[in-house]
Amino acid sequence: MSQAPRPAGRIEISHKAIATLAAQATLRSYGVVGMASRNLVDGIVYLLARDPRHGVEVTSPGGQVEIDLYIVVEYGTRVSSVADSVAHTVRYQVERALGMPIGHVNIHVQDLRVSNVD
Amino acid sequence: MSIEAMRPPDDVRRELGRSYAKIDGRTLRTLTEASLTWLRTNQQVVNALNVFPVPDGDTGTNMTLTMQSAIDALGESSVASVGKVGKSIAHGALMGARGNSGVILSQLWRGFARALDDHALLDAALLTQAFAEARDTAYKGVVHPVEGTILTVAKDNARAAQEALEAGAESALDILEAVVEEAEASVARTPDLLPVLQDAGVVDSGGKGLFFILEGMLRHVYGLPLDTPLATVQPLSALKLQDAAQSIEPGQDWEVVIDFRPAAPLDIQAFYAQLESIGTSIQVGEGDGIYRMHIHVPTAAKAEPEKYIETLGTIKRVMFENLMEQLAEQSVQAASASFKLATVAPGQLAVVAVAPGSGIAQVFASLGVAAIVEGGQTMNPSTQDILSAVDTLPTDQVIILPNNKNIVLAAKQASGLTAKNLSVVPTTSVPQGIAALLAHDPDGDLSAVTDAMAQAVGEIRSVEVTTATRSVELDGVHVREGQVIGLLNGKLAVSGDDLEPVLLEVLKKAGADEAELISLYYGAGMIALQANKLGDRVREVWPRVEVEIVRGGQPHYQFIASVE
Repeated sequence: MSQAPRPAGRIEISHKAIATLAAQATLRSYGVVGMASRNLVDGIVYLLARDPRHGVEVTSPGGQVEIDLYIVVEYGTRVSSVADSVAHTVRYQVERALGMPIGHVNIHVQDLRVSNVD
Repeated sequence: MSIEAMRPPDDVRRELGRSYAKIDGRTLRTLTEASLTWLRTNQQVVNALNVFPVPDGDTGTNMTLTMQSAIDALGESSVASVGKVGKSIAHGALMGARGNSGVILSQLWRGFARALDDHALLDAALLTQAFAEARDTAYKGVVHPVEGTILTVAKDNARAAQEALEAGAESALDILEAVVEEAEASVARTPDLLPVLQDAGVVDSGGKGLFFILEGMLRHVYGLPLDTPLATVQPLSALKLQDAAQSIEPGQDWEVVIDFRPAAPLDIQAFYAQLESIGTSIQVGEGDGIYRMHIHVPTAAKAEPEKYIETLGTIKRVMFENLMEQLAEQSVQAASASFKLATVAPGQLAVVAVAPGSGIAQVFASLGVAAIVEGGQTMNPSTQDILSAVDTLPTDQVIILPNNKNIVLAAKQASGLTAKNLSVVPTTSVPQGIAALLAHDPDGDLSAVTDAMAQAVGEIRSVEVTTATRSVELDGVHVREGQVIGLLNGKLAVSGDDLEPVLLEVLKKAGADEAELISLYYGAGMIALQANKLGDRVREVWPRVEVEIVRGGQPHYQFIASVE
């Protein structure tokens, strides 16, 4: 392997790549049963997104990566705990993969899925 | 401890099988309370298993709080049907679910309760069904279940219950035994399924917590104690002795900590058994072949642990602490430590300060600090500790005062790891931190206030008085171990055998002759009377200088002082 210093170059990471990371981390979080497609006209109830990345919005205002997640949560879980835990997990996984800090991770709980009625 | 070792003699076991053939609501309640007690006893063991630095905080604590909420929901009622008790537990667990593991635990209870429905009694078949329903409900809560976690343990539990039922289980106790046995084995298998556990050399914390919940029920049935932790050896770094000191039982007046190197491999079970006959709150840690034993004992038995351990190997160090004294001190400190931090509005400037003692924290709070991070010379807070404090603030303009040269770097690192605008005023002592705070303006501009603070820091002379931990010659001053030393702006300036002359000389070197104000913050190892006497001496020597004496409560330093 060459030990010669390489000229510093640019590394660009697309929003889509970050969205994939975030979507994978979200779907592994307990309590999340799906991502909601956010490209829907207001008033229409949620639709489980076919591609989970449709439930993720990545922006970088002022150079800081911000992530908005549109999720559907299992009915009967404590929604605030689930949302907290998603925000932590996504931040942790994305920051670890990118090797740099990110800005806000916003969670939008779009709906609850009822699979059992108690 | 394996089930085999816990199980009572056959005739007793047969008798128990009859009493626990079917479980009523009251018994379910008692068993759940036993779960909570046993989980709480082993909370630190579970906490020590965390591998991720972020996602789930302290699993043991989260699960314990979730269980506590479940028990609280039962209230004082003495309902006899398992269905009703199950519903209350599930509701309480849901309302109090904390962290990832707590949410999953609440789902397990939810499924469990659903199976109980409106049944009055819980028999072997219904219990088996309840474990299956718990598994199903928990798995429904996630799209991509990760195996090697509490979910896997719940799945294995349901399978073990089913197998036991098919093998002819007659009582609810038969099922519980089979489940606890499998839970233990399943937890042990988690590292095979989840590489991150393998790498960290631990088992899954949530799975372990679930195991303690189930084992607590079984231990209650067997009549085994629930308040002594399992005979486990933790890594030394994971021993949390401060927590142990908070649970003091009447009569156990002394805390004894002994470091030793055993002559032969230690039989942990026998070691615990012997210690349990002497005292309570037993913890054992190990690192590099050195063991550390922690125990609370009555005054009469103060020497017992030492005598016993002497027979096992070479003792390296013995530490005694008088708990009653400590407790009294804690309550005094707790009373005086209630202080109000400054509140900040979004967009305003907030200050996070590192404080080595409760008194100093109080002084900082009174000067407008919005968050305190505990730390100092020998307990440096991590970057994460600082970030956590920053994260709690509702504003994104934050100034950090590290107040110790060993913490400046961690503070600077923090500023690269958050989206908030952080600036660090590199204060290296408490007086510098206080000087900086006098320049604080919550409505000012971040860089302007930072500059003003840095300038204020330059105008103050800070003095620290402590005891030398080793012999050294530094900055032209010769010091023997155990001597009192005075530092001026972090540099060794004076040494001597007694506190008073050292204090006076270092203040003189700091320019007390021309000063207007000397503030003395006395440390945790000193009482007010002593400090006031020394303060009076300072006033005698410099009658025209105003002298302030404040309880700083910092460890290791007899005095921290500012001269201005």
